[in-house]
Amino acid sequence: MLRYVVVRLAQGLVAIFLVSIVTFSLMHLAPGDPVSLFVGEAQVTQEQVDMLRHKWGLDQPVYRQYLRWLGNLLRGDFGQSLIIRPGASVANIIKEAAPLTIKLNLLALFFSVALALPAGIIAGIKRNSLFDYVSVVGSTLGVALPNFWVALVSIIVFGSMLGWLPTYGLSSWTGYILPVAVLALDHTAVLTRLMRGATQEVLGQEYVTTARAKGLGQAALLSRHVVRNALLPIVTVIGYRIAFLLSGTIVIETVFALPGLGRVFINSVYRFDYQVVQAVVLLLAIVVVLGNLLTDLVYTYVDPRIRIR
Amino acid sequence: MDAHEPFHLHPLGGRKTTRRTFVVRAALALTGAASLPLLAACGGGSSEENPATEPAGDQTGGSTQASPGTGSSGSGAQGEPVRGGTLITLGHTDVPGLSPEDAGPTVEWSLVTQIHNGLLEIDENYELESVLAERHEVAEDGLTYTFTLRQGVKFHDGEEFNADDVVYSYEWYRNPENASIEQQSFAGVESVEATDPYTVVVRMSEPNAAFLIRGATAFIIPEHYHSQVGQDQYRTAPIGTGAFKLKEWRAAEYTLLEAFDDHFRGRPYLDEYRLNVVPEPSVRAIALETGEAHSSVWQLAVEDNQRLEATGEFTVFKAPSVSVNHFPLNHNLPQLAEKEVRQAMMYAIDRQAVIDDVFNGEAVIATSNIAPVLESWYNPNVKEYPYDPDEARRILDEAGWTVGSDGIREKNGVKLSFTCGVITGDQARRPEAELVQQYLREVGIDMQVREVPDASGGMRQGDLDAAVFNWTYGGSGGEPDPSDTLRSDGFNNFSHYRSERMDELIDQGLREVDPEKRREIYNEIQALVAEDVPFLYMMYWQWYTLYSKQVKGLPESALSPTQTYRKAYQFWLDPNA
Repeated sequence: MLRYVVVRLAQGLVAIFLVSIVTFSLMHLAPGDPVSLFVGEAQVTQEQVDMLRHKWGLDQPVYRQYLRWLGNLLRGDFGQSLIIRPGASVANIIKEAAPLTIKLNLLALFFSVALALPAGIIAGIKRNSLFDYVSVVGSTLGVALPNFWVALVSIIVFGSMLGWLPTYGLSSWTGYILPVAVLALDHTAVLTRLMRGATQEVLGQEYVTTARAKGLGQAALLSRHVVRNALLPIVTVIGYRIAFLLSGTIVIETVFALPGLGRVFINSVYRFDYQVVQAVVLLLAIVVVLGNLLTDLVYTYVDPRIRIR
Repeated sequence: MDAHEPFHLHPLGGRKTTRRTFVVRAALALTGAASLPLLAACGGGSSEENPATEPAGDQTGGSTQASPGTGSSGSGAQGEPVRGGTLITLGHTDVPGLSPEDAGPTVEWSLVTQIHNGLLEIDENYELESVLAERHEVAEDGLTYTFTLRQGVKFHDGEEFNADDVVYSYEWYRNPENASIEQQSFAGVESVEATDPYTVVVRMSEPNAAFLIRGATAFIIPEHYHSQVGQDQYRTAPIGTGAFKLKEWRAAEYTLLEAFDDHFRGRPYLDEYRLNVVPEPSVRAIALETGEAHSSVWQLAVEDNQRLEATGEFTVFKAPSVSVNHFPLNHNLPQLAEKEVRQAMMYAIDRQAVIDDVFNGEAVIATSNIAPVLESWYNPNVKEYPYDPDEARRILDEAGWTVGSDGIREKNGVKLSFTCGVITGDQARRPEAELVQQYLREVGIDMQVREVPDASGGMRQGDLDAAVFNWTYGGSGGEPDPSDTLRSDGFNNFSHYRSERMDELIDQGLREVDPEKRREIYNEIQALVAEDVPFLYMMYWQWYTLYSKQVKGLPESALSPTQTYRKAYQFWLDPNA
């Protein structure tokens, strides 16, 4: 078990290293240039532009820039932002932004699981009932409707027409309601469908019929057999969706004007703030690697058939 | 937002989104149109290339009369000013810092200008206003400027402002090592000297007529503080002489300024001045409607501007910008090198139709490089290009460009064909380019449209044949000099335009300090641009600045709507409005 974890972590390190090289190359290969964005329409001369390039170390070959970045990283230095917060340390920028993003995602995850598990099970048991139809239609819409559209419509309805909730920002806790709801919508829809399918499948299995024949009550049947078996796909999907958390958050943070990591990421990409992009991507890569590992470990707990050697 | 802000809590007059606008919005959103503003907002990094925006650095972007029929609320006309409250403005992206170096983009400028002052400042009508200087004198030869400073001015930390701060600031901007965005504003400056605590003398090695508008308007930073903490720290904790001082700064969320009690023009009526970051343009419009903000510094979508204006609940300043919407053309290509070809293109395009079809009529036709709102510099008597496709064909025939079998003209084996770059995700200018493409095709010119991430950079490096974006070709801050864009060696000479006569005129214009004689030179520059057509000058976009009716003490009118934020030291909030 320990050996397995160590090997997986080592593989993860290699993956993270490769991701950092690819990101670095892509950012530098992309057309456009931070200096030209930085000076905008200011009256500058070529000398000034060269001066800035030199100051920012952009006049060096790309591999050199990469090695310098890697060297700093190994010493625990994520570098400095050039553009989105000139002179500020990247570590601080991330430290400021990350808690909000984590909070939003955990809240969304919590509510979607809390909602989707019971809803999926009920829909699975009461097949072709009204509840079942509603859950199917609802979860189809939830997956199909784009996040930004739902977000805008929810702002128009709850912020502008009804006036119940703030249209943007986090002036009070009510500011969390819409972003978390929209963020959770997608998860809830996917998980409800999964849970419904899994429940139906398990209920059709012969061992369930056997268990019923033995006289096992509905509640015991659900908790011992149905939920336990249905959890497996749920865990898979949650683990796999960790990789997409940031992309979902970018939209939500942009529409609702929330100062999280998604905004840091999109701003730094658009403004070619290389060091910041590198750090965020690195962080994301780590989260994905750890998320995958954790998923695999949870499998062994949920599914006794899976054994790690 | 903090809870202790009385003014954003109650909606202004109960305006709600009507059902109709909601349906329209929802429909737009469903067809995917709403996704575009979002993407555009995300792309706000390159501000001069953001579709619905004024170029970075061009804070003085607007111009002409406050729109007829939407009269601005005159200060004092509606009751006595009341002290208190927080003015809430909206920006679209992070505020990276608050030093004068960060004041290029409009949103950052709107904050930096509350914190700092210049010796002179440009007001909302492009007039020079003496602020930290009481008066100034310019020697006849244009080589010496003498500024007499205002006395008894305090910085936010209580220290007195004097001539040493001016010398320090100007020297800092001039020093190439600081790579300041203001460095060029001090071109030609030989020395800056404090002859006594309240007199500063600037000597030039050669005349630079643009110095007053560019250099003397640079913000003053305190020597005793800036020299101690350094630029990196200063931009996070600036200290100026302005009416508001920094209270709290959270780059990605908001910037909060508070009234400076010892401000030399008196304490402002507002207790606080706040900027909230709201990236999505339609959300900014909704926030104005619900009363959660008083004004959006960053532009809204054209249709939102028109809709909000129609509600009658806002004071609207509206004027065409000084930056021109244009197609730079790479003159190094043989098919674009002849001025006859470029003139023919001007005749071939129905610009008014483009304005009406693509921009809801919210723009005015350009006649040359200087915007008509710069009344003292604008030359209306230049060659004009009314829509006349027959004339275009005639010129092209005469110049030897004959129509080939595929309908595209050619000459000496060169096809009259080129590619125009539009900025990726630019939902405003892509349709513009496509319309122009059709007009050009009618006269046998083939223009392909291709999306590119960095149009201005691509033109600068000569990678692109043509592009479409907005830029100022002289006129920024009311100063007509276009050396950056029209001189042969100009850094932003996107068209790679080379004209000895133009270079001469530009140099003369900067050497001449007599306003009358200067005007003649810039008249000729405009005539030469209209003759040579270095780029296809299309139009000036209408620039809107809206304030909730609660905001009083606004200027009567503004040629440059965004510059009205500079007057926040006179604003007050009417609790009864």
